[in-house]
Formats: sequence, C-alpha cells, structure tokens
Amino acid sequence: MIYDMMLTVHQRAEVLERVLRVIRHRGFKVTSINMQVHENETSMVDIVVESERAITLLSNQLTKLIDVVECQVLPSQIENKLASV
Amino acid sequence: MEQGQKIRGADAVIKVLIAHGVNTIFGYPGGAIMPIYDALHGSSVEHLLSRHEQGAAFAALGYARASGRTGVCFATSGPGATNLVTTLADALLDSVPMVAVTGQVSTSVIGTDAFQEIDMLGMSLSCTKHSFMVTDINELIPTLYQAFEIAASGRPGPVLVDIPKDIQVALLEYKTPLLAVLPEPWHDESDIVAAKALLHAAKKPIIYAGGGVGMANAVSQLREFIKVTGMPSVATLKGLGSITIDTPGYLGMLGMHGSKAANIAVQESDLLVVVGARFDDRVTGRLASFASKAKVLHLDIDAAELDKLRLADVAIASDLRQVLPEITQSLDINPWRDEVQQLQVTHQRDYDCPGELIYAPAMLKRLAQKLPKDSVVSCDVGQHQMWVAQHMWFDRPENHLSSGGLGTMGFGLPAAIGAKVSRPEAMVVAVSGDGSFMMNVQELTTIKRRQLPVKILLIDNQKLGMVKQWQQLFFEERYSETDLSDNPDFVRLASAFDIPGRTIDKACEVEAGLDEMLNAKGAFLLHVAIDYTHNVWPLVPPGAANHDMMDETETQI
Repeated sequence: MIYDMMLTVHQRAEVLERVLRVIRHRGFKVTSINMQVHENETSMVDIVVESERAITLLSNQLTKLIDVVECQVLPSQIENKLASV
Repeated sequence: MEQGQKIRGADAVIKVLIAHGVNTIFGYPGGAIMPIYDALHGSSVEHLLSRHEQGAAFAALGYARASGRTGVCFATSGPGATNLVTTLADALLDSVPMVAVTGQVSTSVIGTDAFQEIDMLGMSLSCTKHSFMVTDINELIPTLYQAFEIAASGRPGPVLVDIPKDIQVALLEYKTPLLAVLPEPWHDESDIVAAKALLHAAKKPIIYAGGGVGMANAVSQLREFIKVTGMPSVATLKGLGSITIDTPGYLGMLGMHGSKAANIAVQESDLLVVVGARFDDRVTGRLASFASKAKVLHLDIDAAELDKLRLADVAIASDLRQVLPEITQSLDINPWRDEVQQLQVTHQRDYDCPGELIYAPAMLKRLAQKLPKDSVVSCDVGQHQMWVAQHMWFDRPENHLSSGGLGTMGFGLPAAIGAKVSRPEAMVVAVSGDGSFMMNVQELTTIKRRQLPVKILLIDNQKLGMVKQWQQLFFEERYSETDLSDNPDFVRLASAFDIPGRTIDKACEVEAGLDEMLNAKGAFLLHVAIDYTHNVWPLVPPGAANHDMMDETETQI
C-alpha cells in the first residue's frame, strides 16, 4: 500500500534522520519526500511511503517522537487498523 | 549565587542534577568529560566509579528500577559513549527512566574524526527515547531539564545528552528554565463505558499484567481492581511483583517459560485485560493462537502499543492509575474462578528432584522463603533468570530486576550494585549464571570500593545454559560454542576482590550455604555448582501456541 503523510517537525539538525530511521525500522519504504523549512521553528515534511503493513503501525511511532509535532496521514489512504506482522 | 555571576557549563550540569534530587551518579571519566568531572569533585553529589561504562549505566538502571527514580550516568566521548549503547537499548526496551550524560569533542572539531570522536547523537537514535547534542551554551540548562522530564514522563525511557567539551567550559548565568510540561494522555468517558461493558459481558476474564503497572505506580490500583472484580490474573516477566503470590486466582508468569496453569487459563479466557503489557513474542507464543477465543481490553499509556500486534476490542491510552479505578466493578464469574483454581491445583510445580545434586528451582524457592521482607533480587539472563521468575516471588515490581526486553547478559551484577545504592536498607541479591556473571565481572571492584553488602548467588552449570537447552531440543544436540567448563575458580576470583565465598554442590548444603550468604556482614559469593542437564521447564517451543507446552518428558501437555 502507498500512504501519503504530512509531518510537522521541530527544526533540529537530526530530525529527518529520526523520522527516516523509524520509517525504515517499522517496515516502510520512502518513495518520495519533500521538506519545507518554516520561519516558526518548525518544518513540514511530506513523505510518501510504501508497505504491506498498516499505516497506524508507523504513524503511532512517528507521533511518539519528541520532535514530531504532528503526524497526519492523508485521509483517503488510511487502511485497516491492524498490521500484517 | 549572586545575580549575574557566571559559572561553567560543567558546573551547571551538576547544579541541574542537584535540582532534580540526584544524589548518586554512576560513571567513568575520560578526556571529553573532564570539565564535568572537575565540577563534580567536591560537590554534594556522590559518584560511584565503575570499571566499565556498561557497568556504570547498568548500575544506574538498577538504581532506577529498584527505587522508581531516574538513574543518571556519565561517560566520556567515543568508546565511553559507545559502551553505553547496550544499556540505553536495555532501558528503552524495559521503559526505564535514565539520563545519560556523555562528553563530546569540542564543537570546532566535530565532524573531523577527532580523537575519541563518534557521532553519538546519530548512534543514539535507535536506542533512546530521545537524545540531544548541546551546541549552544544557552541551551544547556533547558536541555538537561527537558531530558529529566522526558525520561520520567509518559512511558519512561532513556535520554542521552551529549555535551561537547567547549560547552562544558563556556560560561553562563544559571537560571532555572520554564518548561512546558508534556501533555498527559486522556481518555473519553465512552472508552470507560465500553470497557465496563466488556467486563460485564465476560464469563472468563483474565488479567495479563506487564511492567507498565509498576512503571505507572499503579500497583495498588491493580490490586484493588483484582480484589473487587475477583478476576484471575497472570503477569509477564516485568510484571512480576505487581500481584502478590497469595492473591486468589493469580497463576504467576505466562508465556514461553510461564506456568502451565497461566498459559492454559489465558488460552481458555474470553476476555484478556491487558494492563501495561505489549504482546511480546516471548509472552504470546504463536500470536494467531494466543488467547484466540478472547476479546481484548488493552490499557497502556503508550498509544503505539495499542493494536500493534493484537487488535483490541477496547483500547485506552491513558494513565493506569486513573483508568483502573474507573473500570473497577464487581463481576459474576464464580464458575470461572473455580475452574482457574482447579487449574492451579492440577498444575502445581513439582520440586521433588531425587539425588544428591542441587536442584536450582528448589534452591531458589528456599531463597525466596528466607529473604527478608522487601528484598531486591537482580537477575542476569538465561536459565537462572527463568528459574527466578518461576520459583521466587516478589511483593512489588521494584524488588525484581531483570533485563526483560533486551535480555542483556551482564545486567545482574551492576544492577544489584545500583539497587543497593538506592535502597541501602534492603537485602540485595544478584542471581547470576556462569555465562552472564563474566560479562560484567569487573564490577566486583565497585562492590569492593564502596564495601557494598551485595549478595551474589552464582548458579554454575559450566554451560551457556539456555542456548545449550535450545541446541539440545531444537538443534539435534549440536552443542556449538556453549561449553564454559574453562570457567575460573569463582570463589578464588571473588576473593581477589576481598569478597568471601564458598562453593556448594550438594542438595544437603543448600540450607547452610544460603544462610551463610544472607548472614554475612558484607558482600558474599555463593557459588552453586549444578548439573548441566537440568533445563528450564515447561517450555513453549518456537512457533507453537502457548497451550502446546513441553515439559521435562518432552511431551506436549
């Protein structure tokens, strides 16, 4: 499945590494990424990921990151809750 | 301090620790953390010098787990910091609050492969709850405050603060920062209504309690819930101590080496009330077959654990101390309680082991009977760890320290040191195996240095026992690299650290051996030689369902 996610993150040098590490470790592959730095100390990261797993398995983990302010999964792409593990 | 007076960043680090009530730090100095050690010298904070950074950090974890406070450790840059990695991972998997402060090379040479430079921030990403590298002196104090807040709040965990040397010597004016408190999760009333409806409808409910109960300080709320509902219960390795052994319907540990009664009851249940637990594979066996007839009510402060491995019928991400009282209600489940009681009777442990040799389960049961109230047992990892979990009992989770998630050999001895520092009045026993003990054996010096009366019960089968057991059962007895018969003379080894000890190898010596260890004034090592053929039973084989346990005759129940 392909999911489109919009993250609001704190502007810290390592924030993208954190996000990408979680995406890889939780079983998702990045197919597209775009980051915009804002003036208000946050950045927006638009990431398209692909996986057989349910997106909540990833979005819940990203939400837990201290430097992730918000993690939105674009509504049309939300799949079943349960991951295939 | 006078208004406007400036201090070094290193002095500010110590002041922040004092402001957080830290009275003992565990660590090991080195080049890039020297200013902080200089600030420590002569301060009111005690420092326990280990002989390896891993020993220091495990002591900090033992300190934290035995007391509920946040453990703090120091290490220098490069190898000092990388030696912490295993302990950070251990703290992450077992949700232990820890703040690790590491020195770093000066900011001007970061990225130049300077002496003892490693990208510790990068290395920490996968093994901490959060991590920081401080590159601005004005961020130092707020960062440290934030580190303590993050480590202890919500689901606790390890936080690393990497501080370059130039930041440690830069000057600043000490100001207590104003911090936004992290938001606590909250739940809807509708969740509570749904949870109560599930409970009301259940005919065969059972509690599956995990380490989250103790971490949330929700032991009394769970016990009240059990008392009022009359519900049977089981616990995970980390949940041991949350429920006392004399609680009606409590069946002990579930999972791979759990009790048969616990596993059968869970498999038979129609409602699994999961409290601060996470469906770990060592608990569930084959996941698809785990409590397959049961609905699930899952309570955990970490929303990411809900629906991760098992879809819950009702899932509540909130503080257990708040949720449990809200769903506590009496239930009409007497036939089920009778059934569970019968299971308990049918599957009682058998401690009868004919012959002269020492039977470790019986010895550990005897130790549990002899220990003073509120003692701490710190385990290593392997067969002895499972025997402790199966055959000993604990009045509260803080009394049983075990590396559950990461399963780190070498945890037990330093964690016992930290436990003794945080609870000097408690009897602290490190139960170790001959494999694990050697992994942090250098910490015997730390015991000697501080004259800590830590008791060491070393169960020695001259094997890497748990791996050997699996080789025997699942790898056609091909014993690849699990023979440890070249172990040192452990009593002589302890003696070199001024720690007295003795060896016992006959069942008739157990009583006197345990008494000598427990009654010794200071530290003592009781070396217990056991037969290597003794394995941990029962066992859920890999890939099997929990009701398909093997027992000693290698037949399935």
